[in-house]
Amino acid sequence: MRLDIQGHSGCDIAIVNEDNELHIHKSTHDPAYVPRLINQANKQITASKREYQNIRVPKIFEVEQSESDATIKMEYIYSKNFVEYFENAGFEQIKYLIGAIKYFIDLEINASTMQTVPSHILTDKMADVARKVSKNIHLKDDEEALKLVKRSQEIMDGVGDMEMPVGTCHGDLTFSNILFNGNNYYLIDFLDSFIESPLLDIVKIRQDTAYLWSTLMYHKPFDKVRLSIVSEKIDKAIDEYFTTQYQWYRKYYMPLQLMNFLRILQYGHDEKVIAYLKRVISGQLATLNNSKND
Amino acid sequence: MMTLIVPIAADHADYARKLPSPFKYDDEGTMFCVKAITGLPMSEISEIYFVILREHEERFMLSEQLSMQFRKHKLTNAHVTILDNPTSSQAETVAQAIRINNIEGVVFIKDADCYFSTDEILPQNGVAIYALENLPIVDPQHKSYVAVDDMFYVTNIIEKRVVSHFFSAGGYCFEDAGEFCHYYDKLKDYTPLYLSHIIYSMLLDKKIFRPIEIDDYKDWSVKYAMHE
Repeated sequence: MRLDIQGHSGCDIAIVNEDNELHIHKSTHDPAYVPRLINQANKQITASKREYQNIRVPKIFEVEQSESDATIKMEYIYSKNFVEYFENAGFEQIKYLIGAIKYFIDLEINASTMQTVPSHILTDKMADVARKVSKNIHLKDDEEALKLVKRSQEIMDGVGDMEMPVGTCHGDLTFSNILFNGNNYYLIDFLDSFIESPLLDIVKIRQDTAYLWSTLMYHKPFDKVRLSIVSEKIDKAIDEYFTTQYQWYRKYYMPLQLMNFLRILQYGHDEKVIAYLKRVISGQLATLNNSKND
Repeated sequence: MMTLIVPIAADHADYARKLPSPFKYDDEGTMFCVKAITGLPMSEISEIYFVILREHEERFMLSEQLSMQFRKHKLTNAHVTILDNPTSSQAETVAQAIRINNIEGVVFIKDADCYFSTDEILPQNGVAIYALENLPIVDPQHKSYVAVDDMFYVTNIIEKRVVSHFFSAGGYCFEDAGEFCHYYDKLKDYTPLYLSHIIYSMLLDKKIFRPIEIDDYKDWSVKYAMHE
C-alpha cells in the first residue's frame, strides 16, 4: 500500500506499507535537487548515529540515487504535529521539551569547534538576498520591502567576522520539522545551512518560538492563545539559557535571525506572508538599531 | 479567609432586550448568580463581590435586586461592583474587581452560571473539578478540562478539548490576588483569553494548583440554552 503526500520541500513523500511496517519514501525527480536530497540524507544518517536522549532521528534504511532521481527510504514515526502536541501538553511535557532542545543544541555545540566565520559570508548572502528580492515580482516594486533590505545591508556590513561554534547543525530546526511522539521528539528534514553552526539551529527554533512562523502554515483551527503562551515560555527559556552562557549567542543571534527572515522574504509570494515578514524584519531592525545605540 | 468574586460583566447583543440569564430567578425566588455561591463554605469567605456592568444595572436595576437577595440570604458581606464598560474576558472582569476594591490575598472566583457545593476551600491555588460521568447531560464543547496526577496535583488545563474525565466546574482559587493581576497583565492582549489560559501560564511557571473536589454540580448554562 502506498499513500502519497506533498512535502514542504517540493519532494514527493509516500507512506509505504511493506509487510505491515510503515516506511517513508522521500524522493525527487528534479536533477537539480538530487545532490541536495542526498546531502540531507547523509546529514540525517550522521545525526542518527549520535545519542540525544529524548531527541531522536528517524533511521534511513536505503538511499537510491541516479542522475535524475533520488529516493530516501526511512523509518515512519507515529506522531503528532507541534500544534496538536502543544494543545494537549501539560506543563511537564513543555519542561521536557525545553530540556531536550537545550540538550540537543549543547551537544551540537560540543561537537563543533570555535571558528571565525569571515564577514563576506554574511555580506555575500545579503547581496544574494538583495538580488533575489529585486527580481521577485511580488517584491521588486515594494518600496517598503526594498527599504528594509537596504537597511539590513547596512546592518550586515557592520557585523564583521564572527567567532562562533561551527561543525554541526540540523539546518532547519523549526517546529514543523519535529515529530512529537510522547516525550520523544523526532527530527526530520535536515538541511544544508550557509553556516553549519548550532547558532543557526537556535535561530530556526526561535523563528517559531519568538515569531510563531510555523503557525502561519497551519490551517486547522487551534487555540492560538495557548500556543502563544507555550511558545513564549519556550522562547524565554531558550533565550535566557544561551544568553547567560555564550557571548557569540548574545552578539550574533539577532543579525542572523534578521538574515533568516530576509532569506524567507526573498521567496515571498503570498501577500499576507509578505506583510508578516515585513513587520517582523522591521521590528528586528529596530531592535538592532536600539542595541547599537545602547 | 478569602475574597469571593462573581464576575457577571460579559455583554451580549441579546442583553439589550433580555435580562442576562444569571440575574433570572429560580422557583424559590433566588437569583441564579446568588444561588451559584450558596454551596460554598461561607465561614471561609470575608467579602463577596458581584461584578456587573453599568448598562445592565441601568437597564434592569440589578444592584437593588441584588441587595434584596443579599438580605434574603443573609449575605452581610456581599457587595456589588459596577464596571462602566464591558470587559473582553472573565479574567479582565476579575482583574478590574481586584483593583477597584483593593483586594489582597486569596481570591476565589465563582462562575455565575453553575452551582456546586464543597465543604472546604483551602487558601491555595486550585481549580474546582467534577467528573464528566457524574453528569446526566453533557455539553463537552463548552467546558475546559483538567488533568490531575496520582497525587492530586493539576498538570494541565485545556479549553474545549476532552483530555481528562475531570472538567473545570467554574470555581478557581488564586492564593495571591496580586499574582493573578500580574499574569492577567502579561496575557491581556491575547483574545479570547480564558481563566484556563491564566492558570496554564502559571503552571508553566511552576506554580502549584490543586484540584478542589466538589459535589452536586449543576450547569445552568445548559438549562438557559434549552429555554432560550
